[in-house]
Amino acid sequence: MAELAKPSAGSAGGTAGRGWFRLMLGLIVRRVLLMLATAIAISALLFFAVTQLLGSPAAMMLGQDASPQAIAALNLKYGFDRPAIVQYLHWLTGALTGDLGRSYTTQQSVAAAIATRIPVTLELSLWSIALAVIAAVVSNTIPTGRRVLQPVVTAANLIGITVPNFMLGVSLIFILSVKLDLLPSTGWVPWSDGVGAHLEHMIMPVLTLSAYYFGAFSIVYRAEYQNVLRRPFVRVAQAKGLGEWRVAFRHAAPNAILPVITFVGISMGQLAGGAVVTETIFSMPGTGRLFVASIESRDFPVMLAIGMLIVVGVVIMNLLADIAYAVVNPQIRHDL
Amino acid sequence: MRRPGLCFGAGVVACIAVIAAAAPLVAPRDPYASGIDMLVPSSALHLLGTDDLGRDVLSRVIYGARASLAIGFGAALAAMVIGVPIGLVAGALRGRVDTVLAALIDLFIALPGLVLALIITVMVGANLRNLVLVLGFVMWPPIARLVRGQAMALREMLFVEAARATGGTPLWIIRRHIWPGVLPIVAAQFATSVAFAIFTSASLSFLGLGIPPPTPDWGGMVRAGYDYLAINPWMSLAPGAAVSLTVMGFYVMGRSFR
Repeated sequence: MAELAKPSAGSAGGTAGRGWFRLMLGLIVRRVLLMLATAIAISALLFFAVTQLLGSPAAMMLGQDASPQAIAALNLKYGFDRPAIVQYLHWLTGALTGDLGRSYTTQQSVAAAIATRIPVTLELSLWSIALAVIAAVVSNTIPTGRRVLQPVVTAANLIGITVPNFMLGVSLIFILSVKLDLLPSTGWVPWSDGVGAHLEHMIMPVLTLSAYYFGAFSIVYRAEYQNVLRRPFVRVAQAKGLGEWRVAFRHAAPNAILPVITFVGISMGQLAGGAVVTETIFSMPGTGRLFVASIESRDFPVMLAIGMLIVVGVVIMNLLADIAYAVVNPQIRHDL
Repeated sequence: MRRPGLCFGAGVVACIAVIAAAAPLVAPRDPYASGIDMLVPSSALHLLGTDDLGRDVLSRVIYGARASLAIGFGAALAAMVIGVPIGLVAGALRGRVDTVLAALIDLFIALPGLVLALIITVMVGANLRNLVLVLGFVMWPPIARLVRGQAMALREMLFVEAARATGGTPLWIIRRHIWPGVLPIVAAQFATSVAFAIFTSASLSFLGLGIPPPTPDWGGMVRAGYDYLAINPWMSLAPGAAVSLTVMGFYVMGRSFR
């Protein structure tokens, strides 16, 4: 496998030098500029959609019976009566300096509110993605007893893709908490309150979220793995008399994992919103739960900030994927 | 059975379609009629018990099939109406049009569908028509990408070359030569899209942005029953199982067409 990985690395190294470096630098600069333009365009779209299309934020916040005076006062307080473009520029300059405004409902700084919630979502997602990658790769690679294992893996893939997160979560709570009384049903405990308690509250959310990722990763990995199995170097490894397991895990699997890594990258970009349902079921104080709460209470600054967090994450991950591909594949370089 | 996937998928879909169509005949009770027997667990009178307002859970699950199928089919159709023409035009024409459309598709594909749907739904308000349109808007990019890929492959074929050489206009070539080649893939994708639409709309209504009550709606029922898991678990588990089975049926059917 190592031998076969060389040619592509070699060709990239072969053209290495000032010219190649300049080419890559130009490409990266152009991509970063494009990324900034995209992020600003989407942020503007999001801002105008949220503040203009929804109707007057003041009227929506105060309800139908609000007096014109109260609405006018609120407009003045939050600056809703200014032209949309002025409001947007004000918001954007604030956002760039880390000031995302204050929550309409709690009056807390939005940046602070999000900062305390990111670690929860990050931890939940990283555990889930790691578990899902391992499960997807191992279950689809194991060679012996494929006949027996195959239907089980296929069924697990299908369940992962088609059974909604909320159904998995509710079923887990019903079995593990209500019936067997093994785990706490909902809630979240910080590390400082005890490692055991923290992990205990993590088990069901991680299982729920990873089931979804498992299904997606499995599809991507399995398709690529079946292709790799047909390649000559796998035949060579088999012909050399290497054991089935060694061929599968040492030779074939590493060559099939690239699409999974791309997919993991995409999932990381969507992280802030990826656990919305799971966090809601298990009442975890993450960004996804905050997002849903802000939608329920029409808390625009929070909605906008988390929306932008997701957009920026997605755009950055797309950029990294583009650059990584360009570095690895010399053909793509010229198209960019 | 040479194609177990197709049989399973089509079987499940057919059953659910029949149940939805014949809901008044199949359902043992009125799904809207509340009673004084609240949160009764499974009994002879109420097979899956009653909910917190004393309504029969089984009847509500049966009627819930209607909203799910309506949203699923409607949204899949809306997504096709947006995605197929964009994919066809991008794939069949070269140059700037393709570059712009392809970039647009890539961008929208990367955005998380559920979050996008949440934002738009809260802006336009949740009702049957809006949900169909919102989900259609969220689901068009993968369809456009699929159609674009197929159209690009077809464009290189000799018969298209010949059509171009004889002076066929782009629109005529798309309609007459490329569209027929794309149709089978679109048909297979339709079933998968219905599955995805039902999945996403159920997640939306679980988060509180579904068809407003009292209309029976599976995702919303799971959410409502979730607080009473220890008293009548069916209130939550039955509609959840119904969504899962329906999504699985459409998904498996779509995959087996490939």
